[in-house]
Amino acid sequence: MKKALAIFALVFLLAILPQFAGKYLLYMTIHIMLLSLFSLGFNLLFGYTGLLSFGQAGFYAVGAYACAKILLAVPSLLVGIIGGVAIAGVASFLLGILCIRHTRIYFSMLTLSFGMMIFSLAWKWRDMTGGDDGLVGIPRAPLEIPGLLRLNMAPMQNYYYVVLIFALLAIYVFHRIVHSPMGLTLQGIRDSETRAACVGISVRNYRLVSFTIAGLYAGLAGALLPPLETTVTPPVAHWSYSAEPVLATLLGGIYTFAGPIVGAVLFYIMKDIIVRFTQYWLICLGGIVVLLVMGLRGGVLGIFFGKGGQG
Amino acid sequence: MKEIIRTEGLGKYFGEMAAVHEVNFTLKEGIFTSIIGPNGAGKTTLINLLSGYLLPDTGQIFFRETDITRMRPEKRVKIGISRSFQVMNIFPRLSVFQNILLPVLSCLDKNSRLFSALSHQRGAIDEAERILNEVWLWDERDLPAGQLSHGDQRLLELGIAVASNPQVCFLDEPSSGMNPIERIKVLELVKKLSVERKTTFAIVEHDMDVVFSLSDWIAVMNRGQIFAEGKPEDIRNNQEVRDIYLGEEI
Repeated sequence: MKKALAIFALVFLLAILPQFAGKYLLYMTIHIMLLSLFSLGFNLLFGYTGLLSFGQAGFYAVGAYACAKILLAVPSLLVGIIGGVAIAGVASFLLGILCIRHTRIYFSMLTLSFGMMIFSLAWKWRDMTGGDDGLVGIPRAPLEIPGLLRLNMAPMQNYYYVVLIFALLAIYVFHRIVHSPMGLTLQGIRDSETRAACVGISVRNYRLVSFTIAGLYAGLAGALLPPLETTVTPPVAHWSYSAEPVLATLLGGIYTFAGPIVGAVLFYIMKDIIVRFTQYWLICLGGIVVLLVMGLRGGVLGIFFGKGGQG
Repeated sequence: MKEIIRTEGLGKYFGEMAAVHEVNFTLKEGIFTSIIGPNGAGKTTLINLLSGYLLPDTGQIFFRETDITRMRPEKRVKIGISRSFQVMNIFPRLSVFQNILLPVLSCLDKNSRLFSALSHQRGAIDEAERILNEVWLWDERDLPAGQLSHGDQRLLELGIAVASNPQVCFLDEPSSGMNPIERIKVLELVKKLSVERKTTFAIVEHDMDVVFSLSDWIAVMNRGQIFAEGKPEDIRNNQEVRDIYLGEEI
């Protein structure tokens, strides 16, 4: 009951935020929501399935570039976003078939390589991606359902609501997934692969499903980016960008549902505060992560809910 | 008695070493069978081959009349072959209840459900609760399994093995690391389950008192081969077995 009330209060606050917040705060909040979705998907692989991916930025970039290309051709926001997510889903399914054949460090290295392959594509395939200039002039196209509605997205707060609705829906779906039989099965695979196989679970198939869902979430976060920034450049595919959900998840707590979301909020707040004092903000962040890993494996939420908390 | 598992010329070799060599082994339905033998005799390897955890280099395995030699372990579970492990192999971060629920869901083919809530799987929950009671872990059901005592973890391991409702269940040293009282308790539980659930159990066990009092049939392995099998009294009186394994204690 308390939890439901807190969630309701938070959603209400987010809903009325544009009424009193300035443009910068809205912009920041959108970025926090994107990182939350990105990290949630990552954590389905990491915290729930036990696979540490260093290549999620690849699927984020596929979502972002695909959405950008679609928007440049067809100025309809929904088509762009859904198209971006779908293409990222296909990409993660196909690369997933190769990656999930391995686990542990081998899986991490494979995802890192495939992620960097996508980065190279973004960097070198000039005709398609614009090379190091990226894609520019992407319209924040209106949200249009023919014959039903047409909303102008030019004001930032309108787009903020689109992102908010997508984020809330995606978080709700994620909650359903991890509390379903499938969610339990993934956690079983994380705990003991051999045991899972010996109770009748085809481990690879479930890993592939997990990988694809993680890719869809990365793709969704990526697809929501170009309408905000109006540009997409190759750094979104870089491996250092893959580290953001890793850090956010470690910050918030890997074994809690809300860990990645809390981590995303903390990540941006810290980045925003530290960056005002020094450009070497990543060093400070690195120090904090070292402290967390050495002292607080359960992340920030682990402090409140105990190490194995299901928050 | 109908045979439920049969092997023909089964072999597994690690380099020069024959872990299992030319084994022709038959497991009969409803016959409580123990596999005994000195360390390194190939007992665990045999179970690994039968459960699909390892693939054999030679020979064939039949389940009833089906050739399952190269069938993947998860498929074998689906047709009714289950196992436990010698070294503890549970799901340590899941709760005790979830440890049992998972194989039950798997048995009912329901674990691919992506959006339905776990709490709506009434049939599976009832079955998992019944098994929890059977293995005396009802009071511990909400604990993370990794926090259970060693003895309780072995009980849970047994619970997981029977939760997929197998026709044949291989238990690899189900009572290892237990004190004598726990040991008798867990093996009597196995016997009880074999009667109530009509599951055919084959166990690897080192406690000879238990083996001889519970088993209907005993197979003795040495150097990768089964060199004697028979009823407990035959094995007890077999001079060769006494020389190699039992000594004069029995």
